[in-house]
Amino acid sequence: MSSEIVAMMLGVSLFLGGIALFAFLWGLKSGQFDDEEKFLNAAKFDNEEDLQRAAEAQKKKEELLAKKRAQKEQYRPE
Amino acid sequence: MSENEKVACDHCHLEFSKDVMIKDGEHYFCCNGCQGVYHLLSDEGLDSFYDKAKGVKLTPPTQQYEDSKNFDSPAFYDKFVKIDENGFARVALVIEGIHCSACVWLNEKALQKMDGIIEANINYTNNKATIVWDDDIVKLSQIVDMIRAIGYNAFPYDPSIQESRANKERKDYYFRMAVAIFATMNVMWIAVAQYAGYFTGIKQDMKTILNIAEWVLATPVLFYSGWVFFRGAYYGMKTKTVNMDILVATGATLTYIYSIYITLTQSGEAYFDSVSMIITFVLIGKFLEVLSKKSVADALDIMGKDIPSEVQVLRDGSIVPVKLADVEVGDIIVITSGQKVLFDGEIVKGEGCFDESSLTGESEPICKSVGDSVISGTVSIDADVQVRASKDFEHSTLSHLTNLLEESLNKKPHIQQLANKLSEYFSITILALSALTFIVWLLMGHDFERSFMVAISVIVIACPCALALATPVATLVGLGIAARRGILFKEAAQLETMAKADTLLLDKTGTLTLGKPEVVKEQRFEEYDKNILASLTKLSNHPVSKGVFNSLDIEEFDEVCFDSFKQHPSMGIEAYVGKTRYLGGNAKLLKYFGIDFEYESERTLFFFAVDEKVVAVFELEDPIKEDAKQSIETLKKRGITPIMLTGDHKKIAEKVASELGIERFYYELAPEHKAAFVEDMHKQNHIVVMVGDGINDILALSQADIGIVMGSGSDIAIEIGDVVLLDDTLSSLVESFKIAATSYRLIKENLALSLVYNAITIPLAMAGYVIPLVAAISMSFSSLLVVGNSVRIKFSWRRG
Repeated sequence: MSSEIVAMMLGVSLFLGGIALFAFLWGLKSGQFDDEEKFLNAAKFDNEEDLQRAAEAQKKKEELLAKKRAQKEQYRPE
Repeated sequence: MSENEKVACDHCHLEFSKDVMIKDGEHYFCCNGCQGVYHLLSDEGLDSFYDKAKGVKLTPPTQQYEDSKNFDSPAFYDKFVKIDENGFARVALVIEGIHCSACVWLNEKALQKMDGIIEANINYTNNKATIVWDDDIVKLSQIVDMIRAIGYNAFPYDPSIQESRANKERKDYYFRMAVAIFATMNVMWIAVAQYAGYFTGIKQDMKTILNIAEWVLATPVLFYSGWVFFRGAYYGMKTKTVNMDILVATGATLTYIYSIYITLTQSGEAYFDSVSMIITFVLIGKFLEVLSKKSVADALDIMGKDIPSEVQVLRDGSIVPVKLADVEVGDIIVITSGQKVLFDGEIVKGEGCFDESSLTGESEPICKSVGDSVISGTVSIDADVQVRASKDFEHSTLSHLTNLLEESLNKKPHIQQLANKLSEYFSITILALSALTFIVWLLMGHDFERSFMVAISVIVIACPCALALATPVATLVGLGIAARRGILFKEAAQLETMAKADTLLLDKTGTLTLGKPEVVKEQRFEEYDKNILASLTKLSNHPVSKGVFNSLDIEEFDEVCFDSFKQHPSMGIEAYVGKTRYLGGNAKLLKYFGIDFEYESERTLFFFAVDEKVVAVFELEDPIKEDAKQSIETLKKRGITPIMLTGDHKKIAEKVASELGIERFYYELAPEHKAAFVEDMHKQNHIVVMVGDGINDILALSQADIGIVMGSGSDIAIEIGDVVLLDDTLSSLVESFKIAATSYRLIKENLALSLVYNAITIPLAMAGYVIPLVAAISMSFSSLLVVGNSVRIKFSWRRG
């Protein structure tokens, strides 16, 4: 086996591993592992209805956020 | 269908007989509250809650809440509500009444559906909720109303104190460990290729590629994960102490630099695997320590939990809310029943009784009227009074107590741990040996490169992995054994401290005794109706009254409806049926009603009188816990001196002490005295364990090296205690001492193991016999040895 192939394989596998590590760190940072019970129960209560609600909640959040931003713009003394 | 058939309420699932239930179509409800919640959930489309809850029994919603408008007051917002960067309000609430995961689901969904709520997140484990909302759309009071409407209650807490640095530190360690473990695992399999090549031959260019891959992986481990060691080493040097961090930091850095040099010059063996292994293993040891540290802030948080941010002050004839800091000496403060007194002062109007147990430990209420002084920190039971403040909040007894507590928690003596002491010497020795090796090899005429490599191999092989793991692993095993027996140690280091303790201070009531007086003798002068006495004693929650009730030994009785009754605090109860007067209480009560009656006894007495005549006397005694005597004996045999401290009077103290074989006891002690006693013991170089349960013990508990609290004790005491005995028995106290001793022995064994290991391998390394493979294997092996030894203890305890 030539050394270039070894180098390439090492590089690719470390890169893939690195992606997994960053995904994990991202999950850790955004608090997805803070509450292990929620983590487990989420699977139990998962259904379309809840998914729908989660989507609605997300939409609502974005709308309110946009509104708040618009308000801020208005208040800006320019 | 029988009349007594029981059906379950469709909301709370509690069972009641059918005839008392509210029938609503197909459904049955135990109360209006449950019915209301059920319909609300159906209307909101949240009724799948009942499928999720699967028949878990819930608390029926009560209607008696104080007005939620309080939540909207500026003072409240000031204290608990934070505005985040987007301009949204954020509050942390503790939700009451959560029984199952479905409850959490329901609360979250119900809140998320509300207009203006952006985020509602509830922790399954501690029921704490974080809610983010737009304050222009919805107010906090409406949010709380919603939580109440679906059958729960919420109260705020200040997250800035509670989720303090401890949590942040923990999370920081998670990150560093994730990186370190990921990188080390990858370095290890690359290293396997290296070792294989070492024995079977490998081309230099292949070796270089592997080295570079290891280099890439070891770099974040050293500089990101290993940052804590550099920081520790820096602080160590600042205070001129050589700690283990310095050894780890210099060892790893030197090895790293050397390995880079090897990689670039394409000569010899690189040690990148050792770099990442040292950092990872020692980091794990450190993390285990951080994991078992408790934060001082929690205890103070509980103290401050029910302190409102404002009080009602009478100004210019009207009552206005005033912030605590703005209340001046001389202000008239209005206190209503159930409120906590926040200012010291003198009553100018009204009268009533106060619960002073937090200051005196005395559970009986104290009654006060105009001219009497009230003390902050006490709670008004039924008093509606106006008090002229004699001190401002900062100088009040309550603030003083809180400060005292904070101080003693912060300056709690920390017995230096064996491993820390050892690692200091160890680090100096290794660094010196390594330098010595380098010089000697140079003097012996070897080239610089070779000498440097040997010197580094000394540091690598002496890598304190095993040393760093020795204590945390042993204490974790100890904590695990203890927890399974209902003994909760809050910090790992306490095991070692406890193993060294020689003095045991015991509180009497609730610790040595059950704290529930029992009737030991009944003197009956005339026959009486048991039903009446039972009904009478049931009116009071006083322990004596409860004790008498229990002694009557009647399973079911026809409760007598008194036409009227009155509680006379610290005396007893007065009740009427028609014109007949029934009295139940102590000698003071008889005197109060002008009944002359002589009765001599050392015990606590309860008199029962009908009209003017005493018909029975009950003698009560607080029974000593069953296992107390034996436990004290066992502890004495272990070389621990038991000392009893009590607020009770001499006679009772003497009796309990002699029964238990305790030679030293002190009586009529106020909370400060108990704390001062602990201080005295410290001055005499004793290591003190204090066992208690009440609020009056907290100062002493916080000052002792180890504070042990009974699981049935007050919340604050449990929060402050270092060890909690869940089953309240003294045999678990003995057990906790045993576990501490075992863990300490284990720590010593582990340390000895790792030192012996080093004593063998270091000379080999100094002589230059150590090849990379041996160094790496030896490192893992010594760590395995330490962990294995700890696991052995764990299994031997399980069998025993």
